[in-house]
Amino acid sequence: MPPKGKAAPKPKGSEANKPSSTSTSAPPPPASTTSTPSSVPSTSPSTVSERSQQRFDESRPNEAAREKSGLSSLAPAEQVAWISSQFARSSAARARLGTKAQRELWRHVNEASLPVRAPKTKPSPGSWGKDRAGQHIGGYTPARFDDRAAKRITLTALEIASRAFKDTRERARKGLLDPLSKEPVVLAENEIDQEKNRRRQMAALRRELYGQTMGQFEQDPEWDDVVPIPQDEPEMALAAIAYPASYAEAISYLRAVMQKKEYSPRCLRLTEHIISMNPAHYTVWLYRASNIFAMKLLIPDEIEWLNEVALEHLKNYQIWHHRHLLVDNYYPSIADDADKVSQFAASERAFLAAILAHDTKNYHVWSYRSYLVGKLGTWGADELAAVEAMITDDVRNNSAWSHRFFLVFSNPAHSTPGTAATDPDPAVPRDIVDRELQYAMVKTYLAPQNQSPWNYLKGVLAKGGRRLASVEAFAAEFVAGLGEGEEVEQVRSTHALDLLAEIYAEKREKEKADLALRRLAEKWDRIRVGYWEWRRKCLDVEG
Amino acid sequence: MAAEAAPGEPSLDIERHLKYWKMCLRSPLPHAYLSNEGNRMALAYFIINSISILTPSPPPLTSETDSAVANKPPTPPLIGPEERRALRQWVLSHQHAAGGFCGTSSLVFPLRDYEEWDFEAGAPTQEHSGLANIAATLFALQLLALLADDDTADSAFSGVDRVRTLRWLRRLQRGDGSFGEVLRLLPGGGWFIGGGYDMRYCYIATAVRWMLRGDMKAGEPGWVDDFDTAGLARYILTSQTYDGGFAGSSQDEPHAGYAYCAIGALSLLDRPLENSEASHPSTILHSGIRDMPGLIHWLASRQFVYLEPDSSADDDDEDDDDPVNFLLPKTLSDLSLDENLHYAGFNGRCNKVADTCYCWWVGGALANLGREELLPREPSRRFLLEKMQHRIGGFGKYPGSPPDLYHACFGLAILAVMGEPGLSPFDSSLAVPVETVRRIERARRGLLRTASEEGKAGTLGGELVSMGLTLSDKTPEWLVGVTGVVPP
Repeated sequence: MPPKGKAAPKPKGSEANKPSSTSTSAPPPPASTTSTPSSVPSTSPSTVSERSQQRFDESRPNEAAREKSGLSSLAPAEQVAWISSQFARSSAARARLGTKAQRELWRHVNEASLPVRAPKTKPSPGSWGKDRAGQHIGGYTPARFDDRAAKRITLTALEIASRAFKDTRERARKGLLDPLSKEPVVLAENEIDQEKNRRRQMAALRRELYGQTMGQFEQDPEWDDVVPIPQDEPEMALAAIAYPASYAEAISYLRAVMQKKEYSPRCLRLTEHIISMNPAHYTVWLYRASNIFAMKLLIPDEIEWLNEVALEHLKNYQIWHHRHLLVDNYYPSIADDADKVSQFAASERAFLAAILAHDTKNYHVWSYRSYLVGKLGTWGADELAAVEAMITDDVRNNSAWSHRFFLVFSNPAHSTPGTAATDPDPAVPRDIVDRELQYAMVKTYLAPQNQSPWNYLKGVLAKGGRRLASVEAFAAEFVAGLGEGEEVEQVRSTHALDLLAEIYAEKREKEKADLALRRLAEKWDRIRVGYWEWRRKCLDVEG
Repeated sequence: MAAEAAPGEPSLDIERHLKYWKMCLRSPLPHAYLSNEGNRMALAYFIINSISILTPSPPPLTSETDSAVANKPPTPPLIGPEERRALRQWVLSHQHAAGGFCGTSSLVFPLRDYEEWDFEAGAPTQEHSGLANIAATLFALQLLALLADDDTADSAFSGVDRVRTLRWLRRLQRGDGSFGEVLRLLPGGGWFIGGGYDMRYCYIATAVRWMLRGDMKAGEPGWVDDFDTAGLARYILTSQTYDGGFAGSSQDEPHAGYAYCAIGALSLLDRPLENSEASHPSTILHSGIRDMPGLIHWLASRQFVYLEPDSSADDDDEDDDDPVNFLLPKTLSDLSLDENLHYAGFNGRCNKVADTCYCWWVGGALANLGREELLPREPSRRFLLEKMQHRIGGFGKYPGSPPDLYHACFGLAILAVMGEPGLSPFDSSLAVPVETVRRIERARRGLLRTASEEGKAGTLGGELVSMGLTLSDKTPEWLVGVTGVVPP
């Protein structure tokens, strides 16, 4: 048996010279590049790798010199020291020595304070691994390294605390008793807040240390029970969109709750979150509607929320479809109460006015508006006044003209339900037809080249079953000296000339019709030459 | 591939457009496309369709061209056969277990979820988490045909669940004849046909029907009940508006996109299944439309002289948000000046601004009516190439806008319809090159053949087997002779 290997070889040098893995305040051990390693202090290491190298060298006195020039280059005392430290480190080698030799060995070890324990592997630059940026951690300064180590410890502590939280919550959910107090386990409200705070710290640490992102939902204890379904993206795919990780995370949770058919307040919030990122996702809107119907939430509340979203996303289509669906479901609950219907109609009209003020020709808004008129039966003076104000504001707003036509000629009080827009309707009273013709003509004078009132005029004539020729005099006001020479011919509206051509054709005045179309093609509306020439050919067919 | 333009006219730089589309094909789309995340299949269609328009198949060799072509080394196709197969697999992976295709991968759920489904019943008792979409279904079918080549056209639709897709399509039709885009079970409300009253869905329904249904007789294997075509035609025909255009319904403002869809839908309802053209003499279309002169008048009115914005002139009542590209001439006689006839823009509604896509919606609608001659070809072409084309390739929405997939695709489409040299001849009704339409016809024949063979053999789950075979692209030896399934 050799002497007690562990007790005996303790080096007798000062504590400061002892390699330390925990102390950072102590000055680093000297490098052993000279023949008197333990007594000459070297410079403090600038990196962790360097510090490892210093410690390695220090534990192997004379090793560096021997490696460089061979054992024989060392002084005899150094040779003895080197050989002794080799034997001291290896119990297998020592076992081969006789008792006397061993005693001799320990004497040398003690006298020279030779290290008995030493790192086995020689440090290499990569041995500390790389950080998230791909940088070698060995290249860190010791201070930075210690900072990182401290953060890892903090993260581990937070993870343990977080597991404890989940554990407590689970026990509270199952109604278990605390083994010590014998009281039921309760999860306090502030514990949830603490956990949220904890996860925020964990997320920050994980990002900093490992570059891992911890999504918003992963951080939220409320979503712990949902296993997100992330999307598989094959290598070969088309039209992948570079969207942020936050969107991908939210969608993966959406997929999970949609699959479970969960309808809950948190799901409603999830849809709001996704809509704020991508309001055009029709599935999210449908799922939102499902949540509202399943939880029997108040539809006016949802409409109020929707007003803000609509103002933020003016061009969005899904918002209006969602509103349509809500009203379809809400209306039956108020249909029997005339006051409630007119109240709702008034609030909708106010909102529509607000949104049309931002975007006067928004197709989805106008389309919803006409639906609403039919649904709520608001054919009356208020709606007509609202649309008239918009035409007054901009006589070229064709959306408003279209709405007016619908409002006047689909009003069940004086029209035949189901009549096509282009067909005559004998149920429409004469005075209404006269009123609308007058309206269109007055508006035409404001801007003769504006096609909207001209189209309207023709539409009203067709509805009223009247001949186009009944407005010949009016159309002729905008055209003078047709075919009487460049100097004389004056056209203030190509639409008037176009209408005159139709009127002449209606009256079988083929030559006059042809002249009007020819002048449109040659001079007044040359961009449509192909169309006017086609119309001329049609005259021939009609004979 | 130098396209020849008339002297003094701009030419289409095909290479530059291809460069733009290659970029869209190879790299992820920027974040600005997030709002289209639910419609990825549409974006995929824009990309592959545009590449197909830009790379027409070489004409068949004649003795004159033989030697010239033989000396040129063949250029490798932009999308190789292996890649085409993988992309077709990607498209097929969006197929919904109950029929139709999902619009985006995020609506495709992991396969285990399909276990709860009764595959044989066809009518689900329980709702599936995924969501098939009518538009995505058309885009997926177009893509499968666009990604096929002459060797694989017969099996381009193999893996498509024809029967279930057609049954699902029927369920998307509302009582008034119109179509919605999705089918969803609403809590407490039963099955709900989602989507607005939108002429696009009506058009898409007819296109899917034309591609998949075929001319089987009732009782034959593979027969599927048709949807209510008369109801659909009635719905569309009553949606004509007082000024001749078409809207989602007759109570709304007419819109060029809806007019295109209304015309396309009516025309597809009786389009012959083989070798027909977009402007075939459709009875439903030509005898059905209440006011055809009014419709043509309305479409022709969408063209207008595009005047260069004059920076020195102050606009009085223009909307600040709208780009100023609907300038009105100071006096009408100004319009007769030659320099003002340079550019023809198109708007989608009366008194609205010019936008690239309306060249397509209006021009395509006129082409479907067989009235291409009403398009002002040169000024429209100049407008697209000089005002809407972007220097990195592609077309933007407004003059000076950056290109985007939608406008870049339909800018090319209308140029192809107008016969632009160097581009594939284009079918204005099915919105793919004419050669792709021929492949769709072959793909349909292949699908019907399989259906009738399976009917005879009584193969259970044969559709699933053939889908699996398509995905793996090979038939295991043990399967040959056991089921009689034809390898893809």
